[in-house]
Amino acid sequence: MASTASAAAPSRAPARTRSIWAGVLVGVGFAAFVDETVFHQLLHWHHFYDKSTPAAGLVSDGLFHAFGWFAVVIGLVMVADLARRGGPARWALAGGVLLGAGGFQLYDGTVQHKLLRLHQIRYHVEIAPYDWTWNVIAVLLLIAGVLALRKG
Amino acid sequence: MLLAETLLVASALAVCLLYLTAAARLRRRGDSWPWLRDAAFAAGTAAVVAAVALPMPGGEFTGHMAGHLLLGMYAPLLLVLARPVTLALRALPPGRARRTLLAAVRSRPAAALVWPPVAALLDVGGLWLLYRTPLFERTHESMPLHMLVHLHVLAAGLLFTLAICQVEPLRHRSSLPLRAGTLVAAGAAHAVLARSLYAAPPPGTDFGPADLHRGAELMYYGGDAAEIALALVLALGWYAAEGRALRRERRRTRSTGADFVL
Repeated sequence: MASTASAAAPSRAPARTRSIWAGVLVGVGFAAFVDETVFHQLLHWHHFYDKSTPAAGLVSDGLFHAFGWFAVVIGLVMVADLARRGGPARWALAGGVLLGAGGFQLYDGTVQHKLLRLHQIRYHVEIAPYDWTWNVIAVLLLIAGVLALRKG
Repeated sequence: MLLAETLLVASALAVCLLYLTAAARLRRRGDSWPWLRDAAFAAGTAAVVAAVALPMPGGEFTGHMAGHLLLGMYAPLLLVLARPVTLALRALPPGRARRTLLAAVRSRPAAALVWPPVAALLDVGGLWLLYRTPLFERTHESMPLHMLVHLHVLAAGLLFTLAICQVEPLRHRSSLPLRAGTLVAAGAAHAVLARSLYAAPPPGTDFGPADLHRGAELMYYGGDAAEIALALVLALGWYAAEGRALRRERRRTRSTGADFVL
């Protein structure tokens, strides 16, 4: 049973919706991971705590931080589940990842960094070019995600 | 080492010895009990002993935080995954002790305590009380209070881990979304508390800024590691359940003469 089941045809149509959601979870988690490792740990651009951070900023950051780790674990296991059901819908998965990453990046760059003044992208520099680059990349990711979803 | 700490270490070692004896008894009579669980329980016990009895590296606050991570998060995860209640129920002969244990596990109060939001409140809420009220300062003056906080951190950690993982024979099983949502909310509350400690020490204490910052960061990232581990337990549990459902579905399709061959 087990040996034949692994080579089996999918028992239902490739779950496109599930592929998109798995992608979104992986995308959000991946963006949060990059934010944490690259900007906090490697470059030291972001500060762990900015004295001017209001409570709402801390709560929002705490939620997204905790959700990011959870999302990447659950998302990857969902992809593994889709794989044994005949593979995820590839374009849907890619679109989901791009939407998740772009969505998180845009939320982080607008609501968290600007509205809630959590911390800035970098300190002791003219911040505007950094903000624009950050958010334009986010929008590009979102556009790429929509295009991928329209393709398949 | 103080008397209270000696007692705690001795009872942890005694419980571990009981666990290993029960597992050995099960295997002798021909039942299977994965060795990995014995290893997990022994490692969990080692973590408890280390947190209570060994000096932790770093400054005073950093060292305290390292001990708390071990006692409140990593030790409970290892101990819960070893399924001590399941082992006890299988190892105990039919009789009063076994009936009492089963009744306690299935009781209403136990069900209320392992409801994920309650367990999370007792666990992370307790930490907020400890670090954001004068309680932390008082534990330095009173030894009984100090030990009580130690015990609470371990007990609440065990309860929360059990509520999220749900690996023992509980009366009620909470849904996956509830457990997942509680895990994320508790993770967030833990992260916010860690950041707040970075900015301001517990009331009444005067740790140096470097020590305070390192301790807060240790709490923040140490909490992440525990959250990832719990998320993995949840996700792999779901993966296994989906796998069973998939196999059932395929068996059914085959027996009713499906249009494709499995």
